[in-house]
Amino acid sequence: MSAVIDKAPVVSAPAQAGRHPVSAVLALARFEARELLLRIPVFVFLLLYVGQTGWKLFSRGGMDDYPVLHHVDCATQSGPMFLDIAVLVSVNVAVLRSRRHDTDRHFDTLVMEPWRRTLAHALSVVPIAAVTALVVAVEFGWAALQPGAVGHGSVAELAVGPLVLLLCGVLGVLTARVIPSVLGGPVVVVIGFVAFMVAPGVIGPDTVHWLDWLQPYVWEGGLKPIPSGLLGRPAAWHVLYLAGLTALLLCVAVLLNGRRTRLLKAVTAVALAATVGGIAGQSPSHEAALTAARDKVSHGPAPFQSCETHGRSTYCSFPEWTGWRDDWARVVDRVQSLAGGRAQGARLTIRQRIPVVYDLRSDSAIMPLHTPGEVTAGTLWGGNRVPEFAVGVASVLVAGDEESAPGPCDARVVTVMWLALAAQDDPKTAFRNVRLDDSVEGSAAVLGVTDSLSMSAGQTRIVRELLERPRYSVTARVKSHWTELTSPKTSRARVAELLGVPAAEGDDEEEGELCRQ
Amino acid sequence: MTTHPTVSASGLTLRYGGTAALDDVSFRLHEGVTGLLGPNGAGKTTLLRVLATAVPADRGAFTVLGHDPGTVNGRREVRRRLGYLPQTPGFHADFTAFAFVDYVAILKELTDRAARHREVRRVLEAVDLSDVRGKRIKRLSGGMRQRVALAAALLGDPDLLLLDEPTVGLDPEQRMRFREVIAEAGQGRTVLLSTHQTEDVAMLCRRVIVMAHGRVRFEGTPAELTARAAGRVWSSAERDPQARAGWRTGLGAFRNVGDPPKDAELLEPTLEDGYLLVLDGEPVEVASA
Repeated sequence: MSAVIDKAPVVSAPAQAGRHPVSAVLALARFEARELLLRIPVFVFLLLYVGQTGWKLFSRGGMDDYPVLHHVDCATQSGPMFLDIAVLVSVNVAVLRSRRHDTDRHFDTLVMEPWRRTLAHALSVVPIAAVTALVVAVEFGWAALQPGAVGHGSVAELAVGPLVLLLCGVLGVLTARVIPSVLGGPVVVVIGFVAFMVAPGVIGPDTVHWLDWLQPYVWEGGLKPIPSGLLGRPAAWHVLYLAGLTALLLCVAVLLNGRRTRLLKAVTAVALAATVGGIAGQSPSHEAALTAARDKVSHGPAPFQSCETHGRSTYCSFPEWTGWRDDWARVVDRVQSLAGGRAQGARLTIRQRIPVVYDLRSDSAIMPLHTPGEVTAGTLWGGNRVPEFAVGVASVLVAGDEESAPGPCDARVVTVMWLALAAQDDPKTAFRNVRLDDSVEGSAAVLGVTDSLSMSAGQTRIVRELLERPRYSVTARVKSHWTELTSPKTSRARVAELLGVPAAEGDDEEEGELCRQ
Repeated sequence: MTTHPTVSASGLTLRYGGTAALDDVSFRLHEGVTGLLGPNGAGKTTLLRVLATAVPADRGAFTVLGHDPGTVNGRREVRRRLGYLPQTPGFHADFTAFAFVDYVAILKELTDRAARHREVRRVLEAVDLSDVRGKRIKRLSGGMRQRVALAAALLGDPDLLLLDEPTVGLDPEQRMRFREVIAEAGQGRTVLLSTHQTEDVAMLCRRVIVMAHGRVRFEGTPAELTARAAGRVWSSAERDPQARAGWRTGLGAFRNVGDPPKDAELLEPTLEDGYLLVLDGEPVEVASA
């Protein structure tokens, strides 16, 4: 006989003290986020991303210091690409951890259900996405606070970087549920690379152009900015597509974990609708109208611009670039002050122009103008763009119009280059920077807003020697010999003589050979 | 002594293919340590997995403190009151002992960070692992790992603790440590200890259940199980052919268990003798319903 006399079982009170499913999911997400951050690929690529962005911010100076904000916002998107990949693979490995170590069977008897663990893994990416958002905000905010920043950014464009990171995290979670192997993550990365990077190139970019916007981020970097109205980037639709896809993948992952409530099915349907809506919205249905508008603006920008007179000259720009007119005027005034003859009092028109843009990924050149006294200004400014613009101003002052700018067999190049460089704060550095080969010796192409100029070795030597001399002494010679210096018939030797630069052996041979070709 | 049963199971049946892993299993568990004895394949692990809500029974039902794991809310409440140490617990080998137990604590929905960390430190101290809590699990010995798993099971001060062969593979010293911890854990809560070690049951358990072929063959106190062998253990110079089991002891004589001959030199029975006899075709006899 037993010593124990049973009573009927009593129902104990629910054990709620300090326990809540939502709080538990958040606590697990915090735990997993810490583990994720400590994974070497994530840690390294996060550091690299933050470091690279910091380096970009603090090393501005050179190419184009003045930010165009509707260009900068797009450039923030692909910065964390390697971090995205690291997060995808690492989250995938984290989800598979229990399976790998055979703790699944045990953990399945604990209070938190598997679908909540899946949710927590997805949420563990949020802190890293938040860091990405912070980096994007700092990068953009820093640019926006720069003196001379023009244009305006788009929140949708800025949201793409952090959203893609979230998407990659969720994709890592789903992959672990579908392919329960640590090879699943790398396989998805390879498939993504082939689908988005290799396939369009093989099939042909025109054929699959609309497919571009199915990619997480659309590369259109390395381009000259154009007015925001001509961008035609469906950024808001793209964000809807990314957000919808992220939610959809997460819902599928949770559904695969056995959570099949009506609410979840409804959320899945909404996410699917958002994804499809995003895809439909970002499909370029008005591509022809956009191309026509770009064509119109690039061939005849005047109707779309406002103009302003500074001193003798008129400055016309697209509405988003009005803030740069003063800077252009300072350069024009300085170049003009060094010129002689009628050029020093010439009335110029500075016209901002964009290249003919059919595809934002192409980097088209702006053709030189043949209108007398009209100088092209680009949509980039600061750094090297200043002497490049000065070369254009000097070319028009010397040759009359951009199309007639002197070539390597035309000694007027010396005068053009000296005018453009002497107007700079640091002429020698500007000389090096404005040449394509970054040297101050030998022949080289000179970068400009429109066509490039070319300098022979002899012309380069003369300009280099002129830049060694006091500006006032060269200015006096330029002004007094202006007519002869700006004549296309004047030889290089004569130009050197007029400017007081001794001839050097070999110059004539090199130049003769170049100009006979 | 009057108590409410912590676990009340009735008619639990679970079949894997044609084999009945559990066959109409009924019992009640009360506060204190209950031993679950049985040979390999007896259904001990399956029973613990059913009680741990890892697998549902095909038939029958059980409650833990009145909560029915057959419903979503009931299952959640059962899990909140449960500590389970599986037979071969898995570990996240790269985690430290503290991190792993902390992770399990989160899965047990202990969400307040400070309170949770206090609880993790408490259970690690309870299993005497405070000094190695910062060590990665892959650097710990088998016995230490087993204690990490026990610490995880002790989290949240569960009302019901299910321990599936926790002392397998441990050396005698480690086993003694484990016994201390289990004995301590049995104070004020219900512990079901599945084991092959009859000494563990003799030393720790207030009650014992013996299973074979998926059925309960005995339920009672260790003394009652031992009493099954009273007058059925004897000594002889040679192995007695009538004995159901017999072996030569260190003193040279044979210890026989079974139906002794007349005038046999009877010996004091042990729990193991009773266990052997219960398994050896004895009719099922439940000491308390």
